[in-house]
Amino acid sequence: MKDRLLFNICPEGEFFGRLSEINYIIERAKEPAHPSRTLLLGRRWTGKTEILRRAHRELFWGQGSVVPVYYQFRGYGGISAAEDFLKEFIKQYLAFRKRDPEAIRQELPLERLEKLLMDSDSFGLSEIISIHNEAKRGGDTSAALKNAYGAPSLIEARSGVPVYLLLDDIDKASVADDGAPALIDALAGALNASTSFIASSSSKGIAEAGLFSHLEVIELKGLGDDVSVAMMAELCRKYGVESESEVLSYAAGRLEHNPMHIKSLIWAASRAGVSLKDLKNLIGVYANELFDGNIGCLLRSYIKVKTLNGLRVLNYIARSGSASEEELIEKFKCGKEELKKLLDEFSAAGIVEEGLGSIRWAGGRAAREYISYVFETRVKGRSPDEVKSSLVRDSLKEGFSLKGAKVQPRFKEDVSRLLRSFNGQKVLKVLLRNPVFAARFKNGAYRAVESRKEEDEVLLPQVIGCFDSLRWERNETGPAVIIAQGFQNNRYDSGNEVVWITGVKEALSPINLGDAESFIRRSLILKENFRGLRIARWMVGGEGFTAEAQKRLEAEGVYSTDSAQMRILKESLEDKGAAERLKSSPRIVPNKEFEVVIPSSTKAELVAAKAVEEIGTEMGFDENSIAQIKAALVESCINAFEHSKIKSGKVFLKFIAGEDRLTIHVQNSGAELDAPAGQGAAPLDSLPKKRGWGFELMKGLMDEVRLERVHNGAKIVLVKYLMRKGDRDDKEA
Amino acid sequence: MIRKHNFKEIGGSVILYPNNYINDIEGEKLEEMCEAFLKKGVKKIVIDFSSTDLINSIGISILIGIIEKVKERKGAILFSGLKKVNHDIFNIVGLTRHIPVYKTEEEAVSDLKWEDHAAV
Repeated sequence: MKDRLLFNICPEGEFFGRLSEINYIIERAKEPAHPSRTLLLGRRWTGKTEILRRAHRELFWGQGSVVPVYYQFRGYGGISAAEDFLKEFIKQYLAFRKRDPEAIRQELPLERLEKLLMDSDSFGLSEIISIHNEAKRGGDTSAALKNAYGAPSLIEARSGVPVYLLLDDIDKASVADDGAPALIDALAGALNASTSFIASSSSKGIAEAGLFSHLEVIELKGLGDDVSVAMMAELCRKYGVESESEVLSYAAGRLEHNPMHIKSLIWAASRAGVSLKDLKNLIGVYANELFDGNIGCLLRSYIKVKTLNGLRVLNYIARSGSASEEELIEKFKCGKEELKKLLDEFSAAGIVEEGLGSIRWAGGRAAREYISYVFETRVKGRSPDEVKSSLVRDSLKEGFSLKGAKVQPRFKEDVSRLLRSFNGQKVLKVLLRNPVFAARFKNGAYRAVESRKEEDEVLLPQVIGCFDSLRWERNETGPAVIIAQGFQNNRYDSGNEVVWITGVKEALSPINLGDAESFIRRSLILKENFRGLRIARWMVGGEGFTAEAQKRLEAEGVYSTDSAQMRILKESLEDKGAAERLKSSPRIVPNKEFEVVIPSSTKAELVAAKAVEEIGTEMGFDENSIAQIKAALVESCINAFEHSKIKSGKVFLKFIAGEDRLTIHVQNSGAELDAPAGQGAAPLDSLPKKRGWGFELMKGLMDEVRLERVHNGAKIVLVKYLMRKGDRDDKEA
Repeated sequence: MIRKHNFKEIGGSVILYPNNYINDIEGEKLEEMCEAFLKKGVKKIVIDFSSTDLINSIGISILIGIIEKVKERKGAILFSGLKKVNHDIFNIVGLTRHIPVYKTEEEAVSDLKWEDHAAV
């Protein structure tokens, strides 16, 4: 079999998620009529190189209309940079024409490439090499760079076949050798003409410099909790590391879902023969990895701090999260020039971001802890073991408290998502006033007062963005605070700008008087950052409120919402019909949500079927409807199993039992689900096709079936409307 | 291999009783049984689904394969005892246009004309 390897990529069994990004790049590459310029922005070791190389592989083998060229900037400068790019470009152009991967893997001198160009009847292109040689002889770096980076558009013009460049680590092109022209300027000059490309970068500098016109930026985050945990479980299985899902979930969050750090941790546990079944083992392996292992090595490869003062500055930014230039100059007694040089270096490494005089830490948690380790040992003179021990101690305490409140991150995310869905809707005020709601909420339902008036409603703002208050509240404890900014009344002027300061209590206990007092105090301080704007304050507690807290918040005019109110609010924001119904309904029942996770294994779908049978029966569905839901759910689970890339992956099911419908979400571990293929009409006398009936069955058995794109894949949404006994028979009749 | 208790032979015909869930594994068992009976020369097959609560799409594709094999051997196949949801599923797929469906196995067997209209 022909060896199809082009550039090194990680083994299939160790690559997870990122399919949507790869597919997006492939689609963009195939649109030569509209030159596209895309920047893939992400921290170091988040998988940018892997994404570009995999997209290149698909483009190399999967189509013939665009020439894909992958190039990784290596920090060369001057003529060497031009020659390296030129060699790689010609080599890949010839390899693609012949579909010969061998040519890509060989190191070929320029003379040999010139001959190959002639042999392949590409005489017109050999002039690129002649120009390069001439520029090299004359020591004209600018001419050499212009010639090399202009080669793609020349080939496009001569051959009529478009070129798509995949430029890895483009940020390395912006660092020039002293006196030499920066590669990035020559590159921008050549590429802005017509060539389509995607470039990866760890720093925002490229995007902010505005060198490329119409540059689209894709920000690459971590893998997401579900995919990270599935990835860790799969790697643990592969490398024989015993694990426990709760510990893996904490580790995934701790490593900020960084795929390379996750792999390094599992490899380290495997090497050490340590299980990941408890926090202590996990933190021990992590600390060793960070200081002496692969993670530390990766961090050392790009975090270079040349002076002790530089280390002090970096450690300060890392610890405090952000700082101003004046603050740093005063605190570390460094000159403006010295600080600028330091910040440029940190910014090029992608660990700090600068903007409007403020410097923000952008390196992530592992990098922050690594810097702290270097600082404590080199500046403060503490021994490595002492620093390691204090990291383990603090991490264990943090992990222990997280384990005690499993719902923490999800609940805050839910509130944040809810705030983002505010889009000028009117909602019942009672959903934001817990004392009133709680007084009339009995036996799982809210009984509305008989006469409702217009003033019983609240007009929500159009929220344009949400962020947490950490930047302003470094040392605060108590409920997390989310700031949501937006406009109201459909008017985008200062008079209608509004800020919602939202406190979220994530722990498994009600909001008490202390929480309420703390939030009121902090919200008054935070208000100072938004002078002149309308402020709304809102507290959300998953476990409700104590009577004193309710009273205090009500007296202060702070909105208050518990989890039952939140579910109703969510439903009325997502569904206009539901919102209208709620306004006139005498009885409001919040949606009940159930989550079930099943493994991708034989007959596991029957567990889901059993769960939905119980839920459906409780909701009042008739026997046949339940049987239909079960059959459709089984189909969706099988679809999710079949398309999961992870052998021991899981399928995540969410059942939302509403007043009039059951909604089921089916999602697998990060892979695409089958899109409905559609069955062509078979001739009446011939038997139906054998395969591909899954979606047809779902559609035939349910009232609504949707395939929704989500982070790292897709999910199937099934909906069945509730018709009480007799309703459905009447409808069918 | 023909398993005990999953079938009943009546004269030159056989009634098969699949399990409560027809997936790939159960479907293949059913297929094996059909093949075994066809090899024995039995050409009239009733599949009684009265114990079957769920049939998935893989099970469906195997059933279509069974029907094709019976057709190749110039045999006849009937279904009986379908629960409403399974009848709905066969309707969606279009199998009810090709296979006669009876309420009970007795009706299927006692229908003297079944051989004429059940020949596929």
